[in-house]
Amino acid sequence: MARPAVILVGADKGGVGKTTVARTLIDYFGAHQTPIRAFDTEAPRGTLKRFHPEVTEVVDVTSVSDQMKIFDTLGSAEAKVTVIDVRAGLLSPTLQALTEIGFLESAKKGQITFAVFHILGPSIASLEEIAETARVVGDANYFLVKNFINNTTFFEWDPATYNSYFKKIKGAEEITIPKLNEMACEQVEVASVPFVSFVGNKGAKGEAANYSFVLRGYVRHWLGNVWGEFDRVKLVDLVSPKMESNVRQVAG
Amino acid sequence: MAASGQVMSFRSSITIIASPRPRVGKTLLARLLTDFHLHESRSIAAFDLNAGEQTLAQFLPEKTTIATIRDINGQMALFDRLIADEDTTKVIDLGHESFESFFTVADQIGFVEEARRRSVAVAILFVVTPDQTSVEGYRRLRDRFARATLAPVHNEIFGPAQYRDKYPLTSGGPVMVRLPALAPGLRRYIETPPFSFAGSYMGDAPGIALDAHIELQRWLRRIYLEFRELDLRILLADLQSSIQLGS
Repeated sequence: MARPAVILVGADKGGVGKTTVARTLIDYFGAHQTPIRAFDTEAPRGTLKRFHPEVTEVVDVTSVSDQMKIFDTLGSAEAKVTVIDVRAGLLSPTLQALTEIGFLESAKKGQITFAVFHILGPSIASLEEIAETARVVGDANYFLVKNFINNTTFFEWDPATYNSYFKKIKGAEEITIPKLNEMACEQVEVASVPFVSFVGNKGAKGEAANYSFVLRGYVRHWLGNVWGEFDRVKLVDLVSPKMESNVRQVAG
Repeated sequence: MAASGQVMSFRSSITIIASPRPRVGKTLLARLLTDFHLHESRSIAAFDLNAGEQTLAQFLPEKTTIATIRDINGQMALFDRLIADEDTTKVIDLGHESFESFFTVADQIGFVEEARRRSVAVAILFVVTPDQTSVEGYRRLRDRFARATLAPVHNEIFGPAQYRDKYPLTSGGPVMVRLPALAPGLRRYIETPPFSFAGSYMGDAPGIALDAHIELQRWLRRIYLEFRELDLRILLADLQSSIQLGS
């Protein structure tokens, strides 16, 4: 049986698109028929839960009872992959808590697969987070995600400065989330459905919807590129080495 | 193709008349093709994507929608309408300035695949010229839209050269479509809107001498013959594609 995998999606800043990335991950594993569960730490709002209510639970990751709910069930849960959307400002404290409960130690021993998706904002300040999280992350699979989904401007980073931070994390890989047309992005928000449902012209309960073909096309193209990035870093092999990778067909 | 995997011919077609060059006869071809479909009693909608000029809309105001793909609203208005109402045949007069952006959007949103799913055939009529921009544009269309029927068009007004070496035909696909040159003395009749080649309009049009009328009809018959041949080629390509997919 494949060992459980935990993917932490976070940033120390708000508004950089953590939940968007978490949504693409849930869709990606869904397309690979990988059972998945998700925890949304944005209590009480629960943005992730709004898009994926079937698999998402809203939790307070700083409370011991909710930590038990997430981590004590890793071996027994049906889902092989657990995605945790960490609220803004909680990435470092969460990683600290994981150290304290011995979770990172289990990951180091290979009992659990652990990956961190660190979403970077466009400002220089967010680089400081890398140094801070690098300290606690240890041997986790560390992905630095440049999220351009809502952003037309270039990241305001000096490449030399960025690289100096980037190299501080052993084996870290970069993932780029490309820009998505604003109206397409907005319409998926309004529809409050997973990206794959929007592409497949389906409502929240699987009923036929009437989204624009053009917007669906843009979302399909964009999601294909995002999944291409996940394929490139061999995400499927990481969480379940035997699974077939390279599923790129978004919807029929 | 039918969901069962059985062969099924298309319900209608969308024809894009294209070239990255201006003034090569695209709008004339769009007018002729639209009138041909009207002549064949088909439900038809034409789309004029020429910034500023909108000549097609002047000649066929009742059948033509002025379209743009400069912004997302224009793209939605155009492409969402193109794939809706599968029983209406559509003709697009694609202005040279929209050539690149139209096909980029079409490629990204999977336009040809969606049309095929709805049993609508997509054809691109590409007016050939010897310049490298056009040759490269044609090659890229072949690569990007393998599931569309790509037919080069030789506008004979530019001379006898067909540049066959520069515009290779798709195996089993359409042959080169010929747009015969119209005698210079007759052009003035068709170049002033309103003018339609369809129905009885030509016969009723004032000021056309009998011999000119006969000559125009002869020219039109040659072109319509080319379009009928093209229709059959698109049908054949569609059947071949369906058989390949079904097997």
